[in-house]
Amino acid sequence: MSSREAADRLRDLQRITDAALAYLPLEELLNELLERVVGILGVDTAAILLLEDDDSTLAARAAKGLEEEVERGVRIPVGRGFAGRIAATRQPVHILNLDEFEVVNPILRQRGLRSMLGVPLLVEGGVVGVMHVGTLTERAFGDDDTDLLQRAGDRAALAISSRLTERERGLADALQRSLIPRLPDLPAVALAGRYLPASAARLGGDWYDAFPLPDGRLGMAIGDVVGHGFHAAAIMGQLRSGLRAYALDGMTPREVLERLSRLLRQLEPGRTATLVYLVLDAHGGAFTVASAGHPPPLIHPPGGEPRYVDIPGSVPLGAARHVSYEDARCELEPGTALVLYTDGLVEQAGESLDVGLARLGATVRDGVEDLEDLSDSIIDDLLPDGARNDDAALLIVRALPMSEELTAEFPAEVESIPLMRRLLGRWLAEAGATVAEIDDLALASAEAAANAIEHAYGLAAGVVELRASRSPDHVIKVAVRDFGSWRQPRGTNRGRGLMLMEGLTDGVEVIRRDEGTTVEMFRRIGSKAA
Amino acid sequence: MSVQPDVSIDYHGPVAVVSLTGEIDIVQAQALRERLLGAVRNEDHALVADLTQVTYLDSVGVSLMFELAERLAERQLRLAVVLPEGGLVERVLRIVNVGSVAAIHRSLDDAIADVGG
Repeated sequence: MSSREAADRLRDLQRITDAALAYLPLEELLNELLERVVGILGVDTAAILLLEDDDSTLAARAAKGLEEEVERGVRIPVGRGFAGRIAATRQPVHILNLDEFEVVNPILRQRGLRSMLGVPLLVEGGVVGVMHVGTLTERAFGDDDTDLLQRAGDRAALAISSRLTERERGLADALQRSLIPRLPDLPAVALAGRYLPASAARLGGDWYDAFPLPDGRLGMAIGDVVGHGFHAAAIMGQLRSGLRAYALDGMTPREVLERLSRLLRQLEPGRTATLVYLVLDAHGGAFTVASAGHPPPLIHPPGGEPRYVDIPGSVPLGAARHVSYEDARCELEPGTALVLYTDGLVEQAGESLDVGLARLGATVRDGVEDLEDLSDSIIDDLLPDGARNDDAALLIVRALPMSEELTAEFPAEVESIPLMRRLLGRWLAEAGATVAEIDDLALASAEAAANAIEHAYGLAAGVVELRASRSPDHVIKVAVRDFGSWRQPRGTNRGRGLMLMEGLTDGVEVIRRDEGTTVEMFRRIGSKAA
Repeated sequence: MSVQPDVSIDYHGPVAVVSLTGEIDIVQAQALRERLLGAVRNEDHALVADLTQVTYLDSVGVSLMFELAERLAERQLRLAVVLPEGGLVERVLRIVNVGSVAAIHRSLDDAIADVGG
């Protein structure tokens, strides 16, 4: 190369990597870049195609001498034709004579192109698009030409990735924020959830959810829609809503999964998702679970070894026309942590899943009590560099140890009652009450709460407070308190409610004060049969 | 295992048998009401409510049973209730004296034989 040629080339490279380009809006930058490439390489056409969200189609985005390509919205499947081959192989492609090549885009022939050169646009090793140039007369492109076009391609890729991620990040944040659930606040139950988007800043299909069921139990789900991007995230949002709807209708996990699989096949045939759904009786010490091809939940009993729940093998949602799933029931001693996660948390490139599962087990075993802190340490240990290629989700629940005296507050609405009696039931069990004593006191307290809810507040929002304590001579005192105005219970329901409170306990006292009413119920446990 | 309440209806000759399961409480009793009250056909002589699988019954559930008894009485139909011995549901129904409106039996066969004759 002569010194003159070398100087020209350096100038060409500078024109392509010109820092001033960075200040242009993306469309203008790409057009300017193509303009310069056409001038430097002395070609007749130049174009940029970008990979769509579905990862399988290229769409024309900017062009010189081939403007129809953009105007007509040309789309090329990855793997086919000239641009498709460049994207699939991630290698430059040079065609001397277009007549001898399979061309997908008819515009190339219509334009009368003879020779073509194209390079992939790469970001972090992944293809985001293709840049190509063409000539009307035959031309053998040399290594220098390829090198220069690749530099222009790199410049374009850099701009595209930063603009795309900026735009995507804004949208992704908004969408993800709207899809991350607010976890319910339940007495004596701790819940913590984490979602980590992949660092490629692309939306993922992972999600978790936890919501109270009408019977006072807790529905919990974690899932992973296969694929990335807005589309996968949108499907995930639909599945999440479907799951809640089926769950609130009282279906068991197996039934929920079977319906969701059918729903997914209708939303998008061919799309699959893995999912674990379980119904936890946090205060009854058991859960019912079903899995659709999802890694099993981890349970960690207090002071014991963590173990993975044995769930019957199953296929992902949407994978087959007629699927059936199985419900498995597991006991759960108080204080046990139940850990749900997606594969993005435990899977590392070049290592078997078992290694990741063992690492999660060890981290949970050595982890702290507090679930927020435990979640942080799991993320730190398993994903020290954040989620890279796959997003990750984590959901942990634990029934907290009961204190000597029980105090809890509930919204003054009937939906609080099932949860309230389950909570009281667990406290009574730990206080040494028999099944019959628990049943009687829980029902009597539920009646007192129903009284408070129906008569203390009218239509205003309020709270009902539950307290329970045990005297040294084994008398349980349960107090249900409201902060509204007293009104004589009316209607046969409430009359029967009082009757039940009196019949199921040793004594009932109603204490009316200006600031509210307290119903106290007493029952000696361990000595008197019901 | 489900604690969500459910009703199934079966007919033994002129006797309608409604079998209830799960927890019948203030939140969910209303959802059962129509099916329970709609179980009786014109040709039926009696209704048996099998509460063997009911694990919880509060005052709203109790009122549902009394409403059922009243509706049946208006049409001169008999009501029998099947209750296992010694559970919460039996204690509840004794406290509210459900025996004043329904015959109480330990087995479904006994109940059908009693009201079907």
